[in-house]
Amino acid sequence: MNRREMIAAVGAALAGLAAPEALAQPKPKRGGKFVYTNLYPNNRMGDAKNGRHPYHLLDINTRSAFNGLAFVNDRLQVEPELATAWTPSADLKAWDIQLREGVVFHNGRDMTADDVIASFAFHQARTSFARQIAKVEKTGTHKVRMHLAKPNSEFPFILGEYQLMIMPAAPLETIGLDGIGTGPFRIVDLDPKRRLVMERNERYWRKGLPHVDRLEVASSPGRMESALNGFRGGQFDAVLGVDPGILPELDRIPGTVVSTALSGDQALMILPKHEGSVFADKRIRQALALAIDREKIVRIVYGTKTGWVGNDSHLTPSNPEFLPVTFKRDVAKAKRLLAEAGHPNGITLPTFYFTASWPEVPRVFQVLAQSVKEAGITLPIEQRPSDGYRDWRVEDKARTRKHRFAYGPAGVRNPGVSLYRMRPDNNESGYWSGAACEKYMKLYDEAVVEPDPVKRKFLYVQMQQILADEVPAIHPAGRRNMLIHKSNVHGLENHSQFWSIRFDEVWKA
Amino acid sequence: MARAFLRRLALSLGVVWLVTVLVFVSTEILPGDALQVSLTADEAAQMTEDDFARRRAELGLDRPAPARYAGWLLAAAKGDFGTTIIGKADVTEVIAYPLRNSVLLGLVTALVAIPAALAIGIAAAYWRGRAPDFAASSGAILGYSIPEFASGNFLILCFAIWVPVFPAVITAFTKDPPSVLLGAAFLPVLTVVIGSIAHLVRLVRAGFIEALNSDYVERARLAGASRLRIILRHALPASVIPALNSAALYVAGLLSGIIVVEKVFGYPGLGLVLINAVEKREVAVVQAVSLIAAVIVVAMNLLADAAVMALDPRARSR
Repeated sequence: MNRREMIAAVGAALAGLAAPEALAQPKPKRGGKFVYTNLYPNNRMGDAKNGRHPYHLLDINTRSAFNGLAFVNDRLQVEPELATAWTPSADLKAWDIQLREGVVFHNGRDMTADDVIASFAFHQARTSFARQIAKVEKTGTHKVRMHLAKPNSEFPFILGEYQLMIMPAAPLETIGLDGIGTGPFRIVDLDPKRRLVMERNERYWRKGLPHVDRLEVASSPGRMESALNGFRGGQFDAVLGVDPGILPELDRIPGTVVSTALSGDQALMILPKHEGSVFADKRIRQALALAIDREKIVRIVYGTKTGWVGNDSHLTPSNPEFLPVTFKRDVAKAKRLLAEAGHPNGITLPTFYFTASWPEVPRVFQVLAQSVKEAGITLPIEQRPSDGYRDWRVEDKARTRKHRFAYGPAGVRNPGVSLYRMRPDNNESGYWSGAACEKYMKLYDEAVVEPDPVKRKFLYVQMQQILADEVPAIHPAGRRNMLIHKSNVHGLENHSQFWSIRFDEVWKA
Repeated sequence: MARAFLRRLALSLGVVWLVTVLVFVSTEILPGDALQVSLTADEAAQMTEDDFARRRAELGLDRPAPARYAGWLLAAAKGDFGTTIIGKADVTEVIAYPLRNSVLLGLVTALVAIPAALAIGIAAAYWRGRAPDFAASSGAILGYSIPEFASGNFLILCFAIWVPVFPAVITAFTKDPPSVLLGAAFLPVLTVVIGSIAHLVRLVRAGFIEALNSDYVERARLAGASRLRIILRHALPASVIPALNSAALYVAGLLSGIIVVEKVFGYPGLGLVLINAVEKREVAVVQAVSLIAAVIVVAMNLLADAAVMALDPRARSR
């Protein structure tokens, strides 16, 4: 070792000794007010009568005022929240749930099994996410048993859905309307569809939290300009749901910290496979999938940092079960497949329709349509208004009008929910059928009754491989959810499920 | 005069009714309904067509459109605007405070804009062809040419970001007292005034020039009247009639400018309620807001007509 190396080694050792202190997180400061605005759309924002209810709260991040039995973190792992443990029966159709003791509602009342039963009676009647629950039975003051209509190995994920919050027991007609929950903040004032003011819940069950005294939310769905004006003018400490396309602009706003989640919503290309559709031919679906330059979409639309390449399934990089794309763009193979399918000189596909569910969706399909030209695929695209888009793209009830070749948005969920969306009777799969589809559904049926997560992951990987080979639908790329905050804000973590951002640990220096 | 006024009143009622029909038809032909726009894509993906049909029946969306319109009209005639589709909230309660806030914004804007337009118009006319006229005319045209969303954002940049003296976004509660709302509404008022004053300035200028060139002003001038007396005593009253008519129409026309400004600044008025209601297909709210807007426009027109009839004998015989 020469002198220079010796100095470097000693320096590194000293730096290593000093590192724990230097890198230690600053101690959270208690107090103050945190104000943010939310750009994410909330289709169910309520009014003066129902605006405090978790289904209609101004902010879709319902965990500011309420809690569920479970919470799904950004790595899509399910954690206990108001439940402390859950145990399934051998057939995975009954789940014994142990509730957290000592949890107090904002009105000072203890949370018990009766509240869980009353809350789920409401959820069963009102949301499709709870439809699988056949009965909720009280087995103790702090214990319930949930009976499912069918086995579900991933049932705890359902308990983490943002609507399935626990409310104090009350009749179905009035439950939840007072906005009383067990969350870190209690609602002080609400201006329907505009603003929500909350104060610290001093009896919050996560001891020592939340850090800030007051949480204020201003709703700005889709009003990017207005939200950024408020941020730059110092009115907002953070903006949630920022368009990834404006990332370069954000560098020009001093003191701005950008936080991206592991993933977010992705674009789904639904390929209808009814008789007469070009997509009934698997080779054409494969050719299209191979011709798309997915890396280019991520590079151009998302500037690499805020996007990811889809693998033609509903899973995302947040899912531990996500199988990164195993195939590369192969224009020559795409051309060969087209020739085999009887299109040696290329093909003009039917018009592809999309709507701007997110600001960048039109850009995704503009780049996509350009990239497939190289393989001889002409893809006409057309943007549609978001109003009534779903009704417009799906077939009519009598099936006289077929489902269109169109885009659909796909959110981030656990594999049990996400992979089920490619079931043959769902329009998102383009009414996929055949031997591969049957094998796919057989694997799904095995997964829902498989209690071992490792074995389940193996099944999910096989399902994704089938999707990559069969291409019943195409998921070219997705976004990584983006939020911005001032540099003095700490503890604000982004989330792939944008409705699951929590504010318990936020504090301001 | 009374007969002429009654004839116009009957015509106005017909216009208001026609507006309700057109608005209802417009909301009907828009794709989607209140149920569909209240669901997330993930939620909709879990629902079957039967689920959709059942929920639509629960919300009363399966009733034929004419039956829904007739029901609404009968109730509205009795002053009952009904309830929202999804939340079942009383529409009157939903629109009461936003209506107050929009009227407040409109009144303050008019109170600033009308005297300002008179002063600028008179100055431009008096110094016709000189620097004040040039400044007033080009300023008015510039303000008129810039859309409200652009001038609003420019004012935000100047007075909320570079020199942060006013809020960029109004976060006041809808039910806050008028003093709180007006305290935050300087930039919205300025934006509407800049965008809407031009037409009024040009009308006042033209009317005043006509008055200054009239025989009676010439006679007053020859009789040795002072400049100030000529302006205040002779020219100004003569130019009031066209200006009065325009001012009434101006107030009615403010509605459209206010809607844009409410959106840019987040001012809690009827404009934002209307935009939300259209997005959410809350037909009863859209109908109520449109009805109120139509009544305001018609009332302001009637007021202008009545004023002109009262002041100008020639108008009574038309």
